[in-house]
Amino acid sequence: MLRLALADLWHERVLFLCSALGCAAVLAPLIVLFGLRQGVVAGLRAELLEDPRAREIVSVVNRTLEPALFERLAADPRIAFIVPRTRALSATILLEHPDRPGSGLRVELLPTAPGDPLLPGRGAMAADEMVLSATALQRLGVAVGGGVVASVARSREGRREVLSLPMRVVAEAPSSAALRDAAFATLPVLLLTEDFLDGTAAPDARPGGEEEARRRPFAGFRLHAARLEDVPALDREFRVAGIEVASRAEAVAGLLRLDRNLALLFLTIAGAGGLGYLVSLGVGLWAQVERKRRDLALLALLGLRRRALLALPLIQAGAVALAGAALAVAIAAGVAGVLNRAFAGSVTGDRPVCLLTHAMAAGAAGVTLLGALLAAVLAGLRAGAVPPAEGLSEG
Amino acid sequence: MTALLSLRDVRKAYRGDAAPFALEVPRFELAEGEALALAGPSGSGKSTLLMMLALAAPPDAGGFVFAGTDIMRLWRGARRDALAALRARRIGVVPQTGGLLSYLTAEANIALTQRIAGRRDAARLRMLAEELGIAAQLGRRPAELSVGQRQRVAIARALAHRPALVLADEPTASVHPELADAVLALLRRECAASGAALLVATHDPDRAARAGYPVLACATHAPDASGVARSVFDRPPLAEAA
Repeated sequence: MLRLALADLWHERVLFLCSALGCAAVLAPLIVLFGLRQGVVAGLRAELLEDPRAREIVSVVNRTLEPALFERLAADPRIAFIVPRTRALSATILLEHPDRPGSGLRVELLPTAPGDPLLPGRGAMAADEMVLSATALQRLGVAVGGGVVASVARSREGRREVLSLPMRVVAEAPSSAALRDAAFATLPVLLLTEDFLDGTAAPDARPGGEEEARRRPFAGFRLHAARLEDVPALDREFRVAGIEVASRAEAVAGLLRLDRNLALLFLTIAGAGGLGYLVSLGVGLWAQVERKRRDLALLALLGLRRRALLALPLIQAGAVALAGAALAVAIAAGVAGVLNRAFAGSVTGDRPVCLLTHAMAAGAAGVTLLGALLAAVLAGLRAGAVPPAEGLSEG
Repeated sequence: MTALLSLRDVRKAYRGDAAPFALEVPRFELAEGEALALAGPSGSGKSTLLMMLALAAPPDAGGFVFAGTDIMRLWRGARRDALAALRARRIGVVPQTGGLLSYLTAEANIALTQRIAGRRDAARLRMLAEELGIAAQLGRRPAELSVGQRQRVAIARALAHRPALVLADEPTASVHPELADAVLALLRRECAASGAALLVATHDPDRAARAGYPVLACATHAPDASGVARSVFDRPPLAEAA
């Protein structure tokens, strides 16, 4: 049976090649399209997800936010990380190289806590530890592991008082966390500077414990949503609750919309193309059975069973589908290679624009084979129903 | 001698060239190894009868026994595979113009019946090819063969699997008159050599008689009141004839 089917294909190898080419011609663009969707959309998305700032929401107006609110927010599954923030004005400190007093650098003091997405991989920090941005490290001439003196000054009854805290630099903040001069420290450090500026702490006071700090109300917060999709909703909720926040909600919402629209677009094109592809494949196979009606009738007359007769178009369809799919994958891989070289580093960074995987190739071959076999079964049932008597008298 | 084929009161309605026809076979028997020509004008139902005898088309009614098997029961039970198997093992067919598969060589075409019957026999294939004078053409495809050679390949294919019955539908219709005599003679000789019964449908009873075939002519009746023309093939049982 197999020999008979393949002998037929071999005899009509030009036609077979045409069928396979026709198959590949429709399938290859679909594979490229799918690869593009994978590459562009998935790449764009991954890039957004990788940028911790995309999921950040920061309150901008100073309020008095009670610990209960923070507890509630921390329990929200949509919020992956939250750290309270002191008033913006009191969150600036002067950093000095311990050996070069007077060479001060004014930096923004940012609160951090374990699990901070801006400082990935950092565990709990001690109250005398700090993470500095690259620019701050450079300007101060301090290396990671070195010491630095952090200070704030206030004037009280005409006298200038200074709170001076010797700190240790434990790491350099990644550029995604802070582009400008910035220092990350634990919450008690921020609270102490605020208290000192408010006049409720003495110049020789030292940072308290984290637990104790968390029991106090704060002016604001910095939080990171668990998922990109949560950002727009959280942003809206805070605004409704009267808390002014800054986030990339609009950009995120736009990108999510783009993602959805692109996905829909790809789905529509691929759906229409795929459907057309299966129809053309089926019609081709059907036509083949019609063309071979005489031969099939003859084989039936010679005593070939229905099952064997059905197998003929099935085997041939399978051969066409596999050859077509292999050809299509080869073409698509070539096109993807060209696309990736042409768009290298422009659209999706160093990610490939067109992403083809073995799973996709196998999927394309599988869908093709399935469609071809389905069409061939229909055609084959017809072949099996060809009355053997047709083989005797030939038109 | 037992009858290989036995039909009783078989009827089959079919559409002829113009008017509806009814084929009737009140009595018909064929002994093993016997040769017979079925004669009748075109459209008289010869091909329809051959199709029924080839187990390729069901009779409407009647009794039909082939090689000891009740064919009517198989048709009623829609046992198409059983019919196909019987066809594959016991029947050889020579279609009008050969009916060869264009994508197979002459040899593969002849081997087709052996393969389907599961009876590979290269020596017999070779012997038949030599007897029929086509040994040199075995490696060629039908397109490269003459009409006469194709017809001989078809005869070889019909005999290759040692069938009990060979059916030929107008095997001489598409060949030169001189060749026609040769084809009929070849068919008869090879079937006799193989011990196969042979039924040839022809519109030329004289040629068949010249080739030594007993001839059964059909009786045609003009349309009756219902407008159906009848075509009757009647052959008395062997015992009565003897």
